[in-house]
Amino acid sequence: MNKIKVLIVDDEHDFAATLAERLCLRSYDARIVVNACETLSLIDKIKPDVVLLDLNLQGISGIEILMTLKNVSPEVEVILLTGHMDIARSIEGLRLDSFHYIFKPFDIRELTEKIDAVTAKHGRKQGNEHA
Amino acid sequence: MKIRRKLLIAFSIYMILALIPAVFAYRELSTLRKRLKPVEAASDITSSYLELRKNEKTFLLLKDRDTLQLLKKQIGMLKGGLDDIESEVLREIGAVNYASLREAITAYETGTLKLAENFNTEQLTINKLTDLGRRIEKVLDGSELQTFLVLRRHEKNLMIQRDSSSMDVFRQTSALIKSSPEADLAAYRTSAEKLFSLYQDEKQLENEIRNSASIIQTYTESILQGERQDIDALLKISMNLLLASLVIVIVIGALINARLAATIAAPIREIRKFAERVAGGDFSKTLEVKGSQEFISLADALNLMAVKLKDTVSSLELAIQNLHDKQGQLVEAEKLASLGRIAAGVAHEINNPLAIINEKAGLMQDLLAISSDFEQKKSITAQIEGITGSVNRCRTITHRLLGFARRMDITIEPMNLNEAIRETIAFLKTDILTKAARLDLNLAEDLPEIRSDKIQLEQVFLNLIKNAVDAVAAGGEITITTSRKDEGAVQVFISDNGSGIPKDKLNHIFEPFFTTKGRDKGTGLGLFVSHAIVRKLGSRIQVQSEVGKGTTFTLDIPIKPTLSKEMTA
Ligand SMILES: Nc1ncnc2c1ncn2[C@@H]1O[C@H](COP(=O)(O)OP(=O)(O)OP(=O)(O)O)[C@@H](O)[C@H]1O
Ligand SMILES: [Mg+2]
Repeated sequence: MNKIKVLIVDDEHDFAATLAERLCLRSYDARIVVNACETLSLIDKIKPDVVLLDLNLQGISGIEILMTLKNVSPEVEVILLTGHMDIARSIEGLRLDSFHYIFKPFDIRELTEKIDAVTAKHGRKQGNEHA
Repeated sequence: MKIRRKLLIAFSIYMILALIPAVFAYRELSTLRKRLKPVEAASDITSSYLELRKNEKTFLLLKDRDTLQLLKKQIGMLKGGLDDIESEVLREIGAVNYASLREAITAYETGTLKLAENFNTEQLTINKLTDLGRRIEKVLDGSELQTFLVLRRHEKNLMIQRDSSSMDVFRQTSALIKSSPEADLAAYRTSAEKLFSLYQDEKQLENEIRNSASIIQTYTESILQGERQDIDALLKISMNLLLASLVIVIVIGALINARLAATIAAPIREIRKFAERVAGGDFSKTLEVKGSQEFISLADALNLMAVKLKDTVSSLELAIQNLHDKQGQLVEAEKLASLGRIAAGVAHEINNPLAIINEKAGLMQDLLAISSDFEQKKSITAQIEGITGSVNRCRTITHRLLGFARRMDITIEPMNLNEAIRETIAFLKTDILTKAARLDLNLAEDLPEIRSDKIQLEQVFLNLIKNAVDAVAAGGEITITTSRKDEGAVQVFISDNGSGIPKDKLNHIFEPFFTTKGRDKGTGLGLFVSHAIVRKLGSRIQVQSEVGKGTTFTLDIPIKPTLSKEMTA
């Protein structure tokens, strides 16, 4: 078992669940968190390789989670999902442009390529491709 | 000539003209002062004369020595006074009259002296007569004495009356006396005769004196009057001169004033007219003033001012025009900004549901891919592809809208226009190659560095070149030219020999969502966004197009943008 563990943090359950299912079909170990507050404890528990973080979370700001995550577990890769370009820009403004982000809606291939790319440097190789 | 000098000259002339009569008047007055002395002397002579006559009367009455002495003294004074002003007197009455005056005085003097002598003799004679009378009275008696006493009465009467009738009475009465001592009576008679003759002489002398006196009076009066007349004449001349001076002061002064006023007022009138013209915005005529140097230089200065004013006014007009343009741009920018905000909001709201649709459709595709064949599998797969296609299209639109919203911010920095164009072309290489289009680059290498937003300009170039690529047929030609437009701007021409844009569409190409490329291929936002960017950067975009021949987009880009804060909001 050498699946890449992906945690999807998105309060849009429909989106997160569908995406998780599609990633699972592509042999990723994908899980979802819809409650933003649980995110950090869950990350601690399942230790994902990649976190897909929606920046438009209700209650707690996606950026806040991002900052904490980077401090607590810097080894975790984060890909930001956003439907709003301004949020991406505000991150740029925070000089956090080393982060990866992807705009919603996106092509699943775009995402898997990015996941593979960010995990590649940790010596993990997915090589799983579905038509 | 300068007004100062003019004024000086006018004033000098004025002063000289006014002073000449005044100087003459002064001269006359000083002559008058000298002439006053003879007048005084003449008046002294006259008063001495009057005094003389008064004393003469006293002397004739009293016949005393003191009055005589006084009389003599006054005659001396009269003579001395005449000597003092001899020359004036000579001038006044002439030599002949002067001689007769002197003669009259001498005659008066001698007459007076003779009279005085006569008085002495008279007194002696009266004494003798009285003595003889008394002696004869003592000798006579009876009727003789009576007669003699009558005679004595006549004697007294003679002394009082002194006329010949009294003398005749005396003679007749004396003839009546016969018996008296012969010698005494004869002597008495002789004395009476002598007294009478003395009285006659006195009368004569008195007449002579009076004559002389009246001659003297005439002359002295004429001297005084002459002197008075002279002085009157002098006074008249002085007065006339002063009057002339006054007239000159008033008349010449008024004339000079009027002349000066005219030389000053005329240019001022011209200047006023000019000022009114300029105030009315008429700069066509320059101010021309004849006359004084001050006015000429004032006119020069005013003309210069008018020129400057004209420049200022035209630049103000330009500035106002610019302001109007800017305001228009500002309104446009504000419109665009709010449009951008709305677009961004809408795009964002749409992106999340779109993502769900996208994932659901994707999952359906995934599931279909791993499921075995069934009756409608192909048809369903095709339908799902339709869904994902539409999602992609929506995504393109929202991304462009979000990109447009984002482009509301601009960053001005020094940049190389040619370089930006080359980078854009490198980005588009595959599109151009696919189309087998020919690209002509005509980039002016001496183009100055400009200050603008490079990324946004590249966005504009990208849209325009992409459109050109879309417009040309396979093997078509695209030309990109850069050049210096003028002092403050450069130009970029992006031309193609493609389809061209029909006239009725040309007005719409900058509108959002206007496209002729079909729903799948174009969003119709490219030119809209480009136009917005160009306006924001203070630039201009123009299009020229002919159906079948091609299209040229022209960009005017300022070397230094004139951006307001609001426009960068
Ligand atoms: N170089 C050109 N030659 C001919 N027509 C043009 C040219 N450039 C623009 N147009 C016309 O103007 C329309 C609007 O252009 P615009 O760039 O705004 O949108 P688009 O190109 O249709 O869509 P998109 O830019 O999203 O691909 C085009 O559809 C086309 O009809
Ligand atoms: Mg276009």
